[in-house]
Amino acid sequence: MKRITVDAGKCAGCRQCEMVCSFHHTKRFSPETSRVTVIKDDSLGLDYPLMCRQCSDCPPLKACPTQAINREGGSITVDWQACIGCGACVEECRYDAVELHDGKALMCDLCGGDPQCVARCPTGALDYSESPEFTETPWDAFDRLKEEWGIHG
Amino acid sequence: MARVYGYTGSLLRVDLTDQAYRTERINEAEMRGYLGGRGFNAKRLYDEVGAGVDPLGPGNKLIFGTGPLVGTMFPTASRFNVSAKSPHTGIFGDSNAGGHFAPEMKFAGYDQIVLEGRSPSLVYLYVKDDHVEFRDASAMKGRTVFEADGFMKGELGDRRVQTVICGPAAEKGVRYGGLFANQVRAASRTGMGTVMASKNVKALAVRGTGHVEVAEPEEFERLVLKLEREIREHEQYSGRMRMGTTRILMMANEAGFLPTRNYMSGVYEHASMVSGERLAEEYNVKNRGCFACTIPCSRVYSVREGPHRGLHGEGPEYEALGSFTSRIGNDDLEQALKAIDLCNQLGLDVLSVAGCVGWAMELYEAGQLTAEETGGLELTWGNTEALLKLIQLIAEREGFGDVLADGSVEAAERLGRGMDRTIQVKGMDLIMADPRGLKGFGLGYAVASRGGDHLRSEPFLELSDDPEIGERMFGVPESTMRLADRGKGRLVNYFEDWNAVIDSLEPCKNIMQNMMLLPFERVSEVLEVATGLRVTPEEMREAGARIVTLERMFGVREGLSRADDSLPSRFRESPLDEGASSGTVVDLDLMLDEYYAERGWDAATGHPTPGTLQRLGLGFAVADLP
Repeated sequence: MKRITVDAGKCAGCRQCEMVCSFHHTKRFSPETSRVTVIKDDSLGLDYPLMCRQCSDCPPLKACPTQAINREGGSITVDWQACIGCGACVEECRYDAVELHDGKALMCDLCGGDPQCVARCPTGALDYSESPEFTETPWDAFDRLKEEWGIHG
Repeated sequence: MARVYGYTGSLLRVDLTDQAYRTERINEAEMRGYLGGRGFNAKRLYDEVGAGVDPLGPGNKLIFGTGPLVGTMFPTASRFNVSAKSPHTGIFGDSNAGGHFAPEMKFAGYDQIVLEGRSPSLVYLYVKDDHVEFRDASAMKGRTVFEADGFMKGELGDRRVQTVICGPAAEKGVRYGGLFANQVRAASRTGMGTVMASKNVKALAVRGTGHVEVAEPEEFERLVLKLEREIREHEQYSGRMRMGTTRILMMANEAGFLPTRNYMSGVYEHASMVSGERLAEEYNVKNRGCFACTIPCSRVYSVREGPHRGLHGEGPEYEALGSFTSRIGNDDLEQALKAIDLCNQLGLDVLSVAGCVGWAMELYEAGQLTAEETGGLELTWGNTEALLKLIQLIAEREGFGDVLADGSVEAAERLGRGMDRTIQVKGMDLIMADPRGLKGFGLGYAVASRGGDHLRSEPFLELSDDPEIGERMFGVPESTMRLADRGKGRLVNYFEDWNAVIDSLEPCKNIMQNMMLLPFERVSEVLEVATGLRVTPEEMREAGARIVTLERMFGVREGLSRADDSLPSRFRESPLDEGASSGTVVDLDLMLDEYYAERGWDAATGHPTPGTLQRLGLGFAVADLP
């Protein structure tokens, strides 16, 4: 299936994805309402954008007590009418890709099939295409790049 | 009043003495008149820090300001200015940095944060939206910038908190201690870190959960998309992505204005060994960027083998790279990287360190400074072991480092010799471009409100050496010829106004000005779409002139006049003897006459006239004229 994948070696940590995401969904700019969050390590100079990977087993979907999280039209969706803000999804996501804002779960909806973070990433660190399960964590990526580049904290 | 977007419209005022704080409104007249960041700071500093205030006393104020575009997706809008009376120069102090601190200020709800008074004990401030905590910082006393950053993020348990930190050098009272955001984003000129340390504040940590809204979202998006495309298609795009500003080093060398051995030459014979090209090919591993940047030009480097194996960091930019290579006759790139890293950790301004060390090396080589006086350090050109030692000594104010810790002018006074070899204006050590090869830059250094520095004007168009541009834009063909003196008053006047506007809206000057992307007409359009405020291109230019003139008045109030708008004697009297800028000196008087006339300032005194002050809406400053 089509999913967003990350090339951490290319991410410049500019967080334009956060701005574009929040603007697309709310017409305002705020990291708090962005469905993507960039993890930054200034000591190592490494950065990693975290967002929903559309995992086939989606633990948050399974954990949601009100069935607010579903898979529709090629992406995970959150029904805010049904969401009670219990945070079970936040706990269950393996990639810290779910956050609560104003008592509602925020998850990437792939912008209806044209993810704006991918379109606007200035370094091509994000890709949206047919891809197998994407299971790399930021910490995996940081360890790999530290080794590859000879960078040690 | 109609709603204004973009700005938060709020200022946070923190009284350190009583550990109290309050918010104040920033009104629409201030927004129109002073635009944001640098302009807001200039006005507040002028209003609140009068003549004679001790820069390191509780009467000084440290002001952080950012602009209306910051905290949106506007390309490169990420910067803040931090301003206070400078302990390095005794006049207007101000520095600017990018990274992620400024947008966090906006998300927390502030365009400006003012720190005043002095804390009874060492603290760091934690600003979380509308709440301020004065937190004990005794565990961070004497700690490096990097250590302090890690400490606060751990203690606050929030990886999204953004910090601005002063290093141990500032705590020791070194007068050119900087402030550092994201560890290496340095607002390091004019000693703003030293001011923060004097207030018993180690750091400012900010976290905001709010948002920024623009007046016309669809139109704003259209403008942003167009700008992003223009940046990617620009001829400078690939060079900047690959090398950042370090691409300048080889260009400067070829044009013969690369400061070499404390400006004794404009050509460095080993330039290719310390170039941005070499850094990119052998050391860089990835790009990094400031917030919302379309052209993330910072680079992470890593030294993978040899004695410096494991050394890594971000940057450097051209000024730092040149400072510890050609400026001091050093061809060892890795030692330069190490020295820059050390300055970042200790919280020192690289240009000021290089100004002091370059000066001391010149004296030493000339036999006017002995190893006895330096505590055994052999300050020969290129001796980087001595450089590294000296950086530590400066930060600790120990031995010969103590002599250099107050700046090159104070050092020359203390030694009783070498003043003619200091390369500074108004006490601030110059940047890395020899004005004999860039006459407009020379004028810019001489008149800059914060002392010897290019970022107030940076009239890069003279690098074009194209008389047609000069004729078209300024009516003087020579104005855009780098070795000519004529027309430079008009050129610098224009660029000063433009930079004041860009610095106040707070996108990146490297991109928006040097790549010619935001002329006055477009700034006007952007501001209206973002904020809803209509400020015409003419009013925009006038706001720039207002900011420049008010900063000038800050200096005038402290006693400055035309005689202080000077340049080191070697630039005015001794031509360079090799390279593409040889055989010419700077005719400063000619350029100053032109400049004052363009500005409407008095040619004899260099003071703005009462009429000019009134015309710019600065009537309140007339009473401060001598």
